[in-house]
Amino acid sequence: MDTTQLLKGVLDLAVLAVLREEDGYGYDILRRLREAGMEEVGDASVYGTLRRLFAAGLLTTYVVPSESGPHRKYYALNAAGRDQLARSGKTWRSFATTMDTLLDDRGMAA
Amino acid sequence: MTVTGQEIVDYVDRVRAALADLPPAVRDELTEDLPEHLAEVAAETDGTLVDRLGEPEAYAAELRAAAGAEGNPGRTSLNRRLTAGRARAAVQLERLDVQLGPLLGQPSVSVFLRPLRPAWWLLRGWLAALLLSALFGEPSGLLPRLDGSVLAGLFLLAGAVLASLWLGRRSAGFRGWPRRLLRLGTGALLLFAFAALVNVDQHASSDYFRGYEGVPVGNRYDSIQDVFVYDEQGRLVRNARLFDQNGVPIRLGWPTCVDGSGVVPPPRNVYPYCPEQAPFAPPSPSTPPPAPTGSTSPTTPAPTGSATAVPGPTDSAGTTTPTPAPTR
Repeated sequence: MDTTQLLKGVLDLAVLAVLREEDGYGYDILRRLREAGMEEVGDASVYGTLRRLFAAGLLTTYVVPSESGPHRKYYALNAAGRDQLARSGKTWRSFATTMDTLLDDRGMAA
Repeated sequence: MTVTGQEIVDYVDRVRAALADLPPAVRDELTEDLPEHLAEVAAETDGTLVDRLGEPEAYAAELRAAAGAEGNPGRTSLNRRLTAGRARAAVQLERLDVQLGPLLGQPSVSVFLRPLRPAWWLLRGWLAALLLSALFGEPSGLLPRLDGSVLAGLFLLAGAVLASLWLGRRSAGFRGWPRRLLRLGTGALLLFAFAALVNVDQHASSDYFRGYEGVPVGNRYDSIQDVFVYDEQGRLVRNARLFDQNGVPIRLGWPTCVDGSGVVPPPRNVYPYCPEQAPFAPPSPSTPPPAPTGSTSPTTPAPTGSATAVPGPTDSAGTTTPTPAPTR
């Protein structure tokens, strides 16, 4: 199955998750996602998702001057963002459990 | 690093062009991080940005989808197609921009043109002053006028140039309708400039000096075609030569009649060119009182002596044998 289809559904949650420990700027977040194993995530998808989460009021931003290159805009979770992360995380876990059970029952587990 | 700053600028421009149907604020927000992002990508990659990220249009589509930003829902499909077509045209134009750049010794034509912008602002101010002057019904020329006054026109010119410079510094930040208005105005000015250029060129390439309103001499004598000198007795002086106070020959008019051989003679400094077109009949010796209307009253009809006002050699044959009736 095409992972990009799956990614679309969970990218919000993934972005919120990588921001839980530490704030990050766009490219940094992208790198963290890739390092975590989401190789196929598109650059534009991550940047677009960040804008949408920000517009939804789940993230705050601040600009940090950089010695080399342009200033960087950092994204951080706010209270609403943490809340959303907790709720979406729960939904995801229960969904994943359901899927696991489904796959195990049918004997299709890898 | 093989990716140049220009490539980043081009990529950003193309992404922005592909998002042209979004409200400007949304588009700015979406592409705000893009230059920084591309710089990071460029620092890590050997290939071009397109190799690494795909075509800018695809990037824009992904960005739009992920951000959940829809185009203006009120737009019809025709409008959408128009927008898409405009975006494509913009991309083509940018390619051409880069391709033609080397001809000018620059990476792109826009790099070449950018430093010339203040010159355009000056020119724009001057054109605007000319246009205002023309709208007030002043004769068209190269200097604006107000109520026929060149001085007032110069004030207008200075004001228009200053306003244009101010606008030039501010207009980069224009969005929405002020920007559209500016473009409309620029188009109108360019049209007017073309018309004015053609007009001035017509005047400049013709022999008359009607176009040079700034030069007051010449105007009064434009309509003069030939000069007829009459002596005290009202007789036409032939082959008169005219000089100014410095002894410089005065040239007026041009020959319009054919001479004996059937060709129009070249202009010489002797008047009249065409004696037979004299406005007043010469006094004929047989009829004593044929007073030529408007000329000095010839009380003595007898032809005595030749014209004295002529410093050049007088043509005796011309003065003693009066030509017959005037031909006009």
